[in-house]
Amino acid sequence: MIAATRLTRRFGSRTVVNDITFAVSRSEIVALLGPNGAGKTTTLRMLAGLIAPTSGSVAIDGVQLTKAAGTSLRRRIGFLTEAPGLWDRLTVRENLRIYAGLYDLAHAEQTIDRALEMFELTDCRSARAAELSKGMRQKVALARALLHDPAILLLDEPSSGLDPEVMRMVRRLLEERRAAGCSILVSTHNLDEAERLADRVAVLHERLLAIDRPSALRQRLTTGRLIVRVSGDPSSYIETVRALGPGFTDPAIEGAALILRVADLDRQAPALVAALVAGGARILEVRAEIPALEDVYLHLVGETSEVRSQKSEV
Amino acid sequence: MRRIRTLITKEFLDLARNRTALLPVVIVTVLSLVLPFGIAVGVPAMTGHGLGEDADLLRVSVAVGSGEALSSDARIQLFLFQQFLMLFLLTPITGAMALAAHAIVGEKQARTLEPLLATPITTFELLAAKVFGALIPTLAISLAGLALYFAGILAFALPGVAAAMASARTLMLVVLVAPAAALVSLQSAILISSRANDPRTAQQFGVLIIIPLAGVLVAQFTGSLWLSAAALGLLGLGLLGVWLLLTLLSVAVFDREAILTRWR
Repeated sequence: MIAATRLTRRFGSRTVVNDITFAVSRSEIVALLGPNGAGKTTTLRMLAGLIAPTSGSVAIDGVQLTKAAGTSLRRRIGFLTEAPGLWDRLTVRENLRIYAGLYDLAHAEQTIDRALEMFELTDCRSARAAELSKGMRQKVALARALLHDPAILLLDEPSSGLDPEVMRMVRRLLEERRAAGCSILVSTHNLDEAERLADRVAVLHERLLAIDRPSALRQRLTTGRLIVRVSGDPSSYIETVRALGPGFTDPAIEGAALILRVADLDRQAPALVAALVAGGARILEVRAEIPALEDVYLHLVGETSEVRSQKSEV
Repeated sequence: MRRIRTLITKEFLDLARNRTALLPVVIVTVLSLVLPFGIAVGVPAMTGHGLGEDADLLRVSVAVGSGEALSSDARIQLFLFQQFLMLFLLTPITGAMALAAHAIVGEKQARTLEPLLATPITTFELLAAKVFGALIPTLAISLAGLALYFAGILAFALPGVAAAMASARTLMLVVLVAPAAALVSLQSAILISSRANDPRTAQQFGVLIIIPLAGVLVAQFTGSLWLSAAALGLLGLGLLGVWLLLTLLSVAVFDREAILTRWR
């Protein structure tokens, strides 16, 4: 488990990460979302012990990540950096072999063989890193980050440069690592990837704006719109909706559906259905409109940006 | 220790695929071989004038001391070969400077430093690997050249010169002063490389080490300074002490954060 407590990082007068607290448990994947410059890479670097927080702390399995403890704690972390950072003149295998040595791996060659196989890199093991495509370089960097079987994985934009097929493979691998007890924090711009992969999503924009399950985040921003598809002309039921009272607002027709807004979906949806059935409607579908994670993200980040621009205007 | 070895292996692999990086060391070594034989053997043979006819050389060559049993020509040859030995051993370092100067800032520019720093490697291990990664191939080339140097002396020098070269002074130069001076200069370059954000800057500063070395060489050639075996031993130990201090300083000033966040 990796935990950040009141983590803050300033560069001169500029605050890049401001007072963020969260934890990634064992067997959990958390996706870190945020616009460019939101502090995602800085957060990952602090968690990896590469840069020290201005204030706050990082703990790995309860041990504080200090300068003195950093060397031994880094053994437990696999860090995929923003750029693959391969030695261009070395072959794929040599790149991995050097890292196996730096992590003191006992059965280095077998471990490297497994990693090459896992990432389907066996055929290009003797190719120099400079000769690889962007996606292949990213795969080697991922293999390198997983080589020492770390308990904590910090991945900065792992899907960068990967085609959908490889991305699916990476997703499967990360799910396997999660099942093996690994704590995984993934920084990404890819909301679809975050939704498919992560148990929880953290939205960062200097501060931690939200952290929750994707479904809970969506619910938090629910529009409260109900879509009711009925057999026949839906406009004939507009009056039935209006008769329900002030809690059922903005009834309208969109195609073959009756749309309206309610304050409390759980309580009002059954009441609406009962009224419509009593009014003779044959209901084909009742659906609450759930926003996409992208809408939630844009809403959260947009709100912060608005506040910031208002502050700067003041 | 294993991590240092591992990273040195990486440096060697990198060099093996980029042999032109060692070309300056090879060129300097070859020049350092040609120059003394040209002056001490070639010029007298071509001009027909013995070295002993030069009054100034005769005067300064007295400094070699051990060559009293030799003819004046042979003593001057011994003096020249001793002088050039120092040049021969020290100048390849300047060629290796590019390797050392590039060590940290080069990794940063290639964006290979951040994943490296995310491993359990300590700053000392990283810097030691970088110094020895540049030193070992440089010394290997120097030693290969040294073998040719002594083979040349055996083959072309006047009688008695080769035997006189096999002295405590030569031993001190070869096994102590040269490696210690190389360590000092390469460690300086590594130190600068971890503070500068451009390899050119690091290299330009690193090459400044040649100034005091050139001063010692000029003083020896003019006869105003002659370092005995004991003095060379002390100089070597002093240089090793300076290297240790530079190593501690390099570790102390190596700022991972600044390198990762401020260098572009």
